[in-house]
Amino acid sequence: PSITLISAPEASMDSRLANTWRPTVNEKKFIETALASNLRIDDYNRKPIEYRQLTINFGRQLVQPYRERPNEGTMSIFTEFSPMADPSFELGSPGEAAIELGRMIDRGLRGSRAVDMESLCVLAGKLVWAIRIDLHILDNGGNLIDAANVAALAALLTFRRPECSLGGENGQEVVVHPPEVKDPLPLIVHHLPIAVTFGFFSTENTMVLDPTHSEEAVMAGRMTVTVNASGGICAIQKAGGVGVPQREIMRCLRLASQRAGLITKTIKDAVEVFNKERASRKIKRHSTSVAATVSVEDGITSLREGPHRQEKSNSNAEQTSEDSDSDVVTMQEKLSSEDVKPPTLLTDLAEPEEQQTSRVKKTTKDAVKSKKARTRGERRRAPT
Amino acid sequence: METDRKDGRTPNQLRPLKCSRNILHRAHGSASWSQGETKVLAAVYGPKAGTKKNEDPEKACIEVIWKPKTGQIGKAEKECEMIMKKTIQSICLLTINPNTTTSVIVQVVNDDGALLPCAINAACAALVDAGIPLKHLAVAICCCVAEEGSVVLDPTKLEEQQMRGFAYLVFPNSALSALPEGSYLVNGEPLEHGIITSVTHGVMSVDEYLKCVDRGRAACAKLSGFLRNSLQKSQFPSDTSSKAA
Repeated sequence: PSITLISAPEASMDSRLANTWRPTVNEKKFIETALASNLRIDDYNRKPIEYRQLTINFGRQLVQPYRERPNEGTMSIFTEFSPMADPSFELGSPGEAAIELGRMIDRGLRGSRAVDMESLCVLAGKLVWAIRIDLHILDNGGNLIDAANVAALAALLTFRRPECSLGGENGQEVVVHPPEVKDPLPLIVHHLPIAVTFGFFSTENTMVLDPTHSEEAVMAGRMTVTVNASGGICAIQKAGGVGVPQREIMRCLRLASQRAGLITKTIKDAVEVFNKERASRKIKRHSTSVAATVSVEDGITSLREGPHRQEKSNSNAEQTSEDSDSDVVTMQEKLSSEDVKPPTLLTDLAEPEEQQTSRVKKTTKDAVKSKKARTRGERRRAPT
Repeated sequence: METDRKDGRTPNQLRPLKCSRNILHRAHGSASWSQGETKVLAAVYGPKAGTKKNEDPEKACIEVIWKPKTGQIGKAEKECEMIMKKTIQSICLLTINPNTTTSVIVQVVNDDGALLPCAINAACAALVDAGIPLKHLAVAICCCVAEEGSVVLDPTKLEEQQMRGFAYLVFPNSALSALPEGSYLVNGEPLEHGIITSVTHGVMSVDEYLKCVDRGRAACAKLSGFLRNSLQKSQFPSDTSSKAA
């Protein structure tokens, strides 16, 4: 049965109240009874639908290190809940949910020493690289922590920093090489801490993995476990909520480490695909751009139609995210049976659609063939 | 006289366009629009109850939030928000849902020139996706003027910086109707000849500006054809042929 969401009507003029969405009583009952009848347990069937946009700021600077750690680089995480993700997200300084998210991911990455900070040191005590991770939440389908964590890891794995060398009279001058001159270097990541979130409900021992937005609104407690693929626990966070027996917690931990292995594999595969594409793009960039034949009638521009994507109907309010058809990222389409979807990276959003242009229909009106942009460099028709 | 562009396009050539709708789940309407490397994601929420303080409660209110790719929100973003708000206000039917607010959130994914036109196009598609009542659609384009006076369409960021001046132009899209031709004329000219928004940077003579307008108008005719196709096709989820070569 499909459920329509009814937003709580507010008579007040405060537009903010009109934004909050509370599940109706019927919904709550439905979710709880469904869960009680084991309709969805231990079913990590999908990651929430959205994708997080993630930027690693390419203007990362050389900064002074912290005094007590003169040999290490710094890493900072900024979370931004964009109002486009959820009607209740307001613009402005991050609320407590955003801060909690940022802190949890930060703890997982920094505390577990996943990223090698010492390799970021340029001049001990004087100059180190500072990395900044910007998390933009685009779409909130529930379980932001897990998805944001995966996004951060994927971004860190695909990030490249410019190489720099020491020079000058006394070896104190630092020269940063631009990416065209010397290939930028990847970060050294020791292991990948994966966050897995569980939701607990008040009806006896019901536990779900990866709660969706509706489930989050109904659940009585949550726990996030950050583990890595080798089974080491990096962080556990259970802030309040309903009390959970020890047995359950142990069970959760075991489930989490299983999941972590699968997710790690997914991330690594996706990153590899991305790196390959990036490498092949670089090679093609150096080749001369090939001009396809272009006939332009004066005043009329040539145009290539973009691919028209399948749009899934968004009517189902329960947010079952079998949405494999309309993903923006072809990377995700390449993932096989695993339903876990890594969020798209900022750079990815530009790329996969480019791949689709080879399958594009052209406007047949004019005999105008438009040409590909230089950066893509795919040669579909060589000039005769 | 025709300048040689770095990526080999002719001055009249646009970059490859891509438009996808309904990509976000929570937003009432969403669309992503990319021209070459420039990509913008737009989401629409609305109509929500109540208007902001200084707005007219007799009409619907449009709120635009512009989020840059990185960095703080500064004056440039506020200016873009204002331009977009005015543009969208002129295409929306504001009297249908009085005393409501519709939010348009624009997220810059990548900026490689012609950012504001890309954003306007994305916002328009998102508004259609959300079902907000509109009079007509808006199509936007960027035309720049090179040193020697020739007009170049849809510049990349590098080109934008090198050109003497550029103009963002927004036109109404061309109408397709069953009614006889004369009914859409405004003062004797077809509707799509009007300019909704025009923002210029740099120096250009009046003649050059008028040339820009002419070229832009022709390009927008093509753009609106593309937009119409893209919006119509997306209604049929079982249509797999659109992805085929």
